[in-house]
Amino acid sequence: MHLSLEDLLAVRDGDATVDAVAHAESCPQCGAEIERLRAIQGRLAALPEQRPADDIWPSLRAELTARVQRRRWALAGWAAACVAAAFTLVIAVRGGLESWHEAQLVRETKVLVAASQQLEQRLRTHGGAGRVVNGRTADTIVQLEDRIAVVDAQLGRVGPERAQSQDVLELWQERVRLLDALVSVQTTRTAYVGL
Amino acid sequence: MTLNLLEAATVLQAGEPTGVTTRATQMTTVDEVLVARAKAGNEAALEALFRHFEVPVYTLARRLTRTSHDAEDVLQETFLEVVRSIGRFRGDGSFEGWIRRVAASKALMKLRRQASRAPEEDLSEELADAVAAERAHGIAAIATAPERLDLQAALARLPDTARVVIWLHDVEGYSHDEIAAMAGKTASFSKSQLARAHARLREMLAPRLEGPCT
Repeated sequence: MHLSLEDLLAVRDGDATVDAVAHAESCPQCGAEIERLRAIQGRLAALPEQRPADDIWPSLRAELTARVQRRRWALAGWAAACVAAAFTLVIAVRGGLESWHEAQLVRETKVLVAASQQLEQRLRTHGGAGRVVNGRTADTIVQLEDRIAVVDAQLGRVGPERAQSQDVLELWQERVRLLDALVSVQTTRTAYVGL
Repeated sequence: MTLNLLEAATVLQAGEPTGVTTRATQMTTVDEVLVARAKAGNEAALEALFRHFEVPVYTLARRLTRTSHDAEDVLQETFLEVVRSIGRFRGDGSFEGWIRRVAASKALMKLRRQASRAPEEDLSEELADAVAAERAHGIAAIATAPERLDLQAALARLPDTARVVIWLHDVEGYSHDEIAAMAGKTASFSKSQLARAHARLREMLAPRLEGPCT
């Protein structure tokens, strides 16, 4: 009685019982079969390498870039939300406003804060995961994001006493303008690739 | 294909396969400085790593998965995982071994997802018949004959489980215990699948079976 295929493989791999090994050593047919199994193993290992049909690095790089952007936006969104919350708190605490001009400033700023949050939401929707970005577009996106980060830093330094000043209003206007431009870039890119 | 991927992930994090690694040893070692730069997020270093491992990882993925499209997905998912996890690579084993583990894990995950959506054609009865025939007819049934199919094509035609087991065991050097842990089965299951894979390969490569051993 010859060895089963499982036993033959066990002998080949050095995992067989003493009896199986002894049989394999004394049986030319089983010995030959073990050599054949070794040959198949060698031929499998020697199969030629295969190369992907397409270069996937560009899409991989775009996905990596998109992930970095999503992380940045998550952080930026959180920071902006903190600034907006602080701003709202100051207004609430101060209660009655001293003049129509101040009230107007607050209303306009509130509108800008809301617009800013809506644009951030749109950016998260059009984050561009996995989509290819050409060099010029990527550069534009990075520049816009850097300028927004500068505005955020300035807003972060605003103290309670200046919460409803003209300066702050202009900073929010600038933030909304930059976010709007960024949304335009992202939306155009999304439409261009047909997604 | 009923691979337990949670266990697979555990096994895959454990280190390199314990057996003889035929394919992995063919890969050139990667510069430690390059790995360090990639860890720091240097894009050029990441691309260099990708270019270095692109073909071997794709080849491994192609052997384990059903289509070239699946293999490209695995290639991409592998490198996204590498970028995400490279900071945790401690350098205990080789970088090549680690990246191959990640690729194998991703390929198994893909097969599992596919199995849950559209199970592969069940060839187990056919394979069982082949093994039974081999046992009944003895060693003469596995005599060599003119090859009907190219080995690579025959490998691709194996059922998912048999293909994964024969490749991970015979080429990548995984032990039956390691494969069993990945599949959520026993070592006996892995041994049985390996035998089935060889029986099926033989059937495809040597169609003219000879008579029983006397």
